[in-house]
Amino acid sequence: METDKVANLDKIRNKRDLSFFDLYSVDQLTKDDLSLIYDVAREFRKLKTAKLSLNKGASMINAFFESSTRTLASFDLSAKQLSMDTTSVGSNSSIKKKESFLDTAETVDAMNVKIIVIRSAEAGVSEFISRHTKASVLNAGDGWHEHPTQALLDTLTMLDYFKSNDLMDKTVTIVGDIMHSRVFGSLVRLLKKLGAEIRVSAPDTLLPVNVEKFGVKVFYNVEEALKNADVVYALRVQEERGAKGFIPSIREYSKMYGISKKRLDLAKENAILMHPGPVIRDIDVHSALVTLDSRSHILQQVENGLAIRKTLLWLLVNRYDKREKEFTLK
Amino acid sequence: MRILIKNGRVIDPKNNLDAELDVFISDGKIQEIAKSLDYSADKIIDAKGLVVTPGLIDMQVHTREPGREDKETLETASLAAIAGGITSFVAMPNTSPVADNQSVIEFIIKRSKELNLVNIYPTGSITKREEGKMLSEINELKNSGAIAITDDGVDVQDEGLLKRAMQYAKTCDMLLMSHCETDTLTEDGVMHEGWVSTQLGLPGTPASSEDLAVQKNLILAEETGARIHLLHNSTKGAVNAIALAKTKGVNVTAEVSVQHFSLTDEECFGYNTNAKMYPPLRSNEHLEAIQKAIQDNVIDVFTTDHAPHIEPDKLKPFAYAAFGSTGLETSFAVANTYLVEKNIVSLPDIIRKMTIAPAQILRIDKGHLSVGADADIAIFDISKKWIVNPSKSLSKGKNCAFNDKELTGKCKYTIIGGEIKMQDEKIV
Repeated sequence: METDKVANLDKIRNKRDLSFFDLYSVDQLTKDDLSLIYDVAREFRKLKTAKLSLNKGASMINAFFESSTRTLASFDLSAKQLSMDTTSVGSNSSIKKKESFLDTAETVDAMNVKIIVIRSAEAGVSEFISRHTKASVLNAGDGWHEHPTQALLDTLTMLDYFKSNDLMDKTVTIVGDIMHSRVFGSLVRLLKKLGAEIRVSAPDTLLPVNVEKFGVKVFYNVEEALKNADVVYALRVQEERGAKGFIPSIREYSKMYGISKKRLDLAKENAILMHPGPVIRDIDVHSALVTLDSRSHILQQVENGLAIRKTLLWLLVNRYDKREKEFTLK
Repeated sequence: MRILIKNGRVIDPKNNLDAELDVFISDGKIQEIAKSLDYSADKIIDAKGLVVTPGLIDMQVHTREPGREDKETLETASLAAIAGGITSFVAMPNTSPVADNQSVIEFIIKRSKELNLVNIYPTGSITKREEGKMLSEINELKNSGAIAITDDGVDVQDEGLLKRAMQYAKTCDMLLMSHCETDTLTEDGVMHEGWVSTQLGLPGTPASSEDLAVQKNLILAEETGARIHLLHNSTKGAVNAIALAKTKGVNVTAEVSVQHFSLTDEECFGYNTNAKMYPPLRSNEHLEAIQKAIQDNVIDVFTTDHAPHIEPDKLKPFAYAAFGSTGLETSFAVANTYLVEKNIVSLPDIIRKMTIAPAQILRIDKGHLSVGADADIAIFDISKKWIVNPSKSLSKGKNCAFNDKELTGKCKYTIIGGEIKMQDEKIV
């Protein structure tokens, strides 16, 4: 029965609210926000695909100015399972007609939607747009900057695997194109909040300047970085990076940094392998490891993604404190 | 018009003057400076408690006219200059069309005479359309009234061509002003490459992009003996190289735009597009080096690099927003607030870098209060605090990096050619 399910969610939520109205950076998340999100997400995960009427009457726009498979599907399904009406505006329409991002967003906002999910090829678009809309803006990836819901689902996966409320004694090794990765941008901030030791491994050309200031240890040698790691997190390297001289070839990259079984064995025995997807098999990660190896948690990540997104949609659309978003620049 | 300015603190760096004096002006010239002058005048200005200086000279202004009159015109730029105590400025050639020919130079001179507001000195481009491929007709530009040549906004990437441009400029006895940037190092950079760009996930422009171009310009200036001026320096490497070149006797002068000794890349947090400019606002390490270079006179001149834009060009994702900040109305206040009030540089020293120093580089008889000189004068209240409000700006561009910041020091009167152009902070 839906009422039992909602009652359980309400009980776990315990009248708590998020500290924010828009989510564009992990920096916005307080300790209380995190425990609220993880608690509620675990309950949503139990409910699987149950159709709930929690957000009935509220609409959501997917504004994906850059293409996406899993994040778009995940946000859209999450909204629909909460009975929201959803539609998409994307790179195929207004922007191509030279409408500005801001005009597109303000138009959509005028449709009285509650949530606008934005993905953009440029950093800062969701934060910029959020200053101009009454709808809550969720960042589904902005350039090389951040992808907050990805980091939330990743850390939920880690916390549940280690059955812990933090990652204090855990070592997370992140391998791949750190520089161009918004997944890294959010993950490193959130891992820091949870107390993990963070290592990164990539050629210097794929590391952003001053990356060590995030509080990470840099390893050019991937084997050293993997030794005794609790989590091995591989990032995709895009083929076009070769053209600009970030790497000489995908082949050489794969030999130097690809996660093979032999390399994964350097991590702790109970270590897990994660990847935000899409995996480029045999380049980022050896094919046999992707889904078949018991250490791979790549599909759990996807499942947790739905739970995390449903949580945010419910908490943002239905506030106990009845506070309304304030925005000044309009 | 006969004007008597009474009891102001007169600071004229060229004449080593810093004392409470009266200034008498008639026939567009300075007639006498002394204590307790007694002349009959059409206008007596009580400057007690105020600072009287030569009108400021700004060596780098983007007026946008001809071509982008929606962003700024020679008229609105002039009014903004007057509000900031600037009585002469140098107009950059990246207009539309580019000032690579006599017509554009003659148009600017003619228009500024019609306006009769501030003294405008046009520059011509080094290369045709600022494309870095073929030299402009530099001697023709000079003959039509261009005061210098520059490809500001871009840089001459081809070292061979840059060398020939310097040789040719030397032949014509023309000042060559370089925007120093190495395209292959800047790539898609939109802000300073450093910890802030990493946190914001924005592509960075490394300091080396500027350093390398500065080195290239200095090497070629040394080899050719050309007279060069390096625009808007912002890096530690640039000022270190310039200091060394000056000790070697290279014929080089250097400027900094006021935002680069006052603000850092942290202004870009929140994707604040008003803080997007070239060169980018740098990290604190560079800012400190720039301040030191100002103290050591490695930096000769302060400019605004006034770059007005329409609002939609700044209301964009940071990566796509236009580069540049306005500055004509704020430059003195910025220098006063960030250098004088913080005891980094003295008031006479900042005035020197905004008056006689640029005049000498440009070889114009401006920027001083000698008897017989043009009566271009600014009078400042150096203790007045105000908050920069874009809606009050006289420039068409409201894109100032100092918007909403509190500054100290405001121009009260601006006199140009012996005529009062601003009185009690109001344009006449």
